[in-house]
Amino acid sequence: MFNLIRRDVILQKRQLLFFIPVILVFIIAGAPPILTFLVASIFIPFNTYAYDEKVETNILLNSLPYTRKEIIASRYLGAIVYMILAICVTSLALFVFDTPFTMTDIGISSGLFLLFSALTFPLFQILKPGYITTVVLISFILLTFLTRPVGLFVTEHLTGIIDLIINLSVAILYTGATLITMGIYLTSWGITTVIYQRKAF
Amino acid sequence: MENVIEIKNVTKRFKGFSVENINFHVKQGFVTGFIGANGAGKSTTIKMIMNLLKPDSGEVKVFGLDYKTHEKEIKERIGFVYDGNVFFEGLNLKDIKRIVAPAYKNWDDAIFHQYVDQFELPLNKAVKTFSKGMQMKASLAIALSHHAELIIMDEPTAGLDPIFRRELLDLLQELMIDGKRTIFFSTHITSDLDRIADYIAFIQSGELVFNQTIHDVVENYVIVKGGLDLLDRDTEKDFIHIHRASTGFEALTDNSGAVQATFGDNVIIERASLEDIMYYLKGGLSHV
Repeated sequence: MFNLIRRDVILQKRQLLFFIPVILVFIIAGAPPILTFLVASIFIPFNTYAYDEKVETNILLNSLPYTRKEIIASRYLGAIVYMILAICVTSLALFVFDTPFTMTDIGISSGLFLLFSALTFPLFQILKPGYITTVVLISFILLTFLTRPVGLFVTEHLTGIIDLIINLSVAILYTGATLITMGIYLTSWGITTVIYQRKAF
Repeated sequence: MENVIEIKNVTKRFKGFSVENINFHVKQGFVTGFIGANGAGKSTTIKMIMNLLKPDSGEVKVFGLDYKTHEKEIKERIGFVYDGNVFFEGLNLKDIKRIVAPAYKNWDDAIFHQYVDQFELPLNKAVKTFSKGMQMKASLAIALSHHAELIIMDEPTAGLDPIFRRELLDLLQELMIDGKRTIFFSTHITSDLDRIADYIAFIQSGELVFNQTIHDVVENYVIVKGGLDLLDRDTEKDFIHIHRASTGFEALTDNSGAVQATFGDNVIIERASLEDIMYYLKGGLSHV
C-alpha cells in the first residue's frame, strides 16, 4: 500500500520541479494563504489522476498483486499524506517570505481540499478517460468563483442558519465541521471502492 | 496441483459479443498456446484469468485458488505480458522497476538486471521511445523477475520481427527447463506454436473448440482430398467442413481414423496445420 502512495512521487518527479515555483508565485502575488495551501495540496493527488485515468495504468495496477480495495485506499490515504506534506512545505515557504498565516487558514484549506477530493474522486471512476482533467479544472475554477457569491447569498438570505452557527461555540463549530468533512470523505471512499470493484479493464 | 488455471462454465456477455460457457484448464509444467482469430475472445478470456474482467457466471480458479479470497496470493505468482505497453510511457525502465518491484514479495533484482543485460535494454530511456520489440523485452524482463510460476502473455509475438520472435520462443523454451513453470499465451500466429506449445486451446466466436495436446491435434485433424463422387450423406458425417470445387473436394476432419476406415486409399490424407484448422473451422462449427 505504501508503495502505491510512493509511486506518485516517482511518476511526478518532473512535475514536482514546478511545485515550489507555483507556490512561490501564489505567495508573491499576495494570494490569501488559504488558496495557496489549497492549490499546493491539490497538486500531487490530482496530477496522479492524469495518469490513472488511462486504461493501461489500471491494467498494470490490477495485474500486480494489489486488490482493488487497496488501489482506492492508496488514493484516499495518499491524498491525505500529500496534503500534509504540501502544508508543511507551504508553511515553510510562507514563513520564509514573511507572510502571516494562521492555523485556521490551514484548517479551512485542508477541509476544502478534502471536500473537493471527496466530490471529485468518485467522478474519476464514472467519467470517460480524457474528459476528467478538463472537468476537474473547470469545476475547480467554478467553485473558486462561486464561493463568494454563494457566501454572500447565504449571509443575506439565510440569516437563520448564520445565527445558529454564530451562536455555536468555536469548539463545537470546528469539531462539527471536522466530523462532517471526515464523514463525507469516508462516504466518498466507500462509494469509489464499490464503483472501482465493478469496473472492467 | 495439476491444473494451474481452471475455467468452469464461464460466460461473459458484451454488446454484440460474448464468450459462452467456456470450460478448460491449463496444466502445470506445460506451454499452452491459446489460438483463435482476431475477436474470437482470447483477450476477454485472458482478462478474466487476470481478474481484470469478472465473468457474468461461472468460476475462474488460478493455482486452485479463488480471486475473491486470494487475489494477492494469486497475482504474486503470475508474470504477465500484454499486447500493448501498460507501463507508464514517460518513465524509464529504472523508474518502472521502482514502482513494480516493491509490489512483489519475491522480486529478484539480480535476475532483472541479468535480463536487462541479456536484452540490451537501456535503463535510462523513456519506454515510449522503445521499439515494439524492445517494449516486449522490457515487459518480459519485468514479468520474469519475481519467480512467477505462471506466465500469461496476450499476443506476445504480435508486431515483432521474425528474428526476435524466434529469440522469444527460444527464451520461453529455456524457461520451461525446470519443469515447474507454466506458460499460457495467446497468439494468432500459429507457426509460433509448432515450436514450443505442448497444448493447444482453440477458441472461436467465444466458444472453445478444443483443448488438446499438440500431438493429439496432429493425430486427429487431417485434410482429406478426393473426388466429388466419394461424397454422400454418410461419408460426409466425419467432416467438419468441406470445400467443393469442380476438380474434387478438400475437407477437414477431427477423426482421421474414421475417415481412413471409410475411404481407405481412395483419398489423399494430409497433415492439417493449425492454420488449416483455423481456416476450415471459420466456416462454422456445425458438421456439414
